[in-house]
Amino acid sequence: MNEKDLVEKAKKGNKQALAELVKSHEMTVYNFAFKICRNKDQAENIMQETFLSMVKSLHQFDGNSKLSTWLYRIVSNHCLMAYRKMKKHFISFDDEKVSENDNKIGDWSTVPSFAIENQELKDILDNAIGKLSPDYRIVFILRDVNGFSTEETGNITNLSIPAVKSRLYRARTFLRDEINMAFKK
Amino acid sequence: MKKQKITCKEVSDHICESLGEELDSPRCIAIKKHLNSCPNCQNYFTSIEKTIDFYKKYNLELPKDSHNKLINLLNLSCE
Repeated sequence: MNEKDLVEKAKKGNKQALAELVKSHEMTVYNFAFKICRNKDQAENIMQETFLSMVKSLHQFDGNSKLSTWLYRIVSNHCLMAYRKMKKHFISFDDEKVSENDNKIGDWSTVPSFAIENQELKDILDNAIGKLSPDYRIVFILRDVNGFSTEETGNITNLSIPAVKSRLYRARTFLRDEINMAFKK
Repeated sequence: MKKQKITCKEVSDHICESLGEELDSPRCIAIKKHLNSCPNCQNYFTSIEKTIDFYKKYNLELPKDSHNKLINLLNLSCE
């Protein structure tokens, strides 16, 4: 059965169809939530909140976009709400001092592509993205990591295309600089 | 010159795509020309590509326990 049929059945209260939809999207939702919040417990909570929202609002889903796109939007909103509650301070890009001078970055062609099982690298990646505001993380993960187009990323995040491009540039460069500094230590 | 993982063509195509430019537009052609002779720009894009690649490879398996909790929470069964 295709996804559209499953959605229609789930809207009418068919629990088996709903279970199929949850099973086919739970991994994506969990990983996206983890990539934003970098914490397994928080990712599990956000996954639960997301599917509760899905069940509650499925009747509003018009089917004009993929269900996964709609779910990404719900996950993004839950992540942002969770961070607002924490009132944590993140790096500000207001001063435009986004990047080190690129001449100081050094030659990255010699940086090895580490196996991701390397815990030290995982810590570096978590630490780097942990300093970035969730608004920027979401754009970076959607566009660069999950491969959505600029337009799709804008639709999911309710941002204009120039705003997506601006956040993406800043997020990429900031993460590169943080990783670069960690490698130098 | 040491062989890089990505080619200048890929880099320039990526830039043009990001800018919303056609690959044969005058601006895109000028970008390609610049990149062919600019080690700084090549290094910038190598570093960004590796940064993205690190995050792409960093995935988790959904724990069985988390799956079960979700199914129970939603009052569903998974047969």
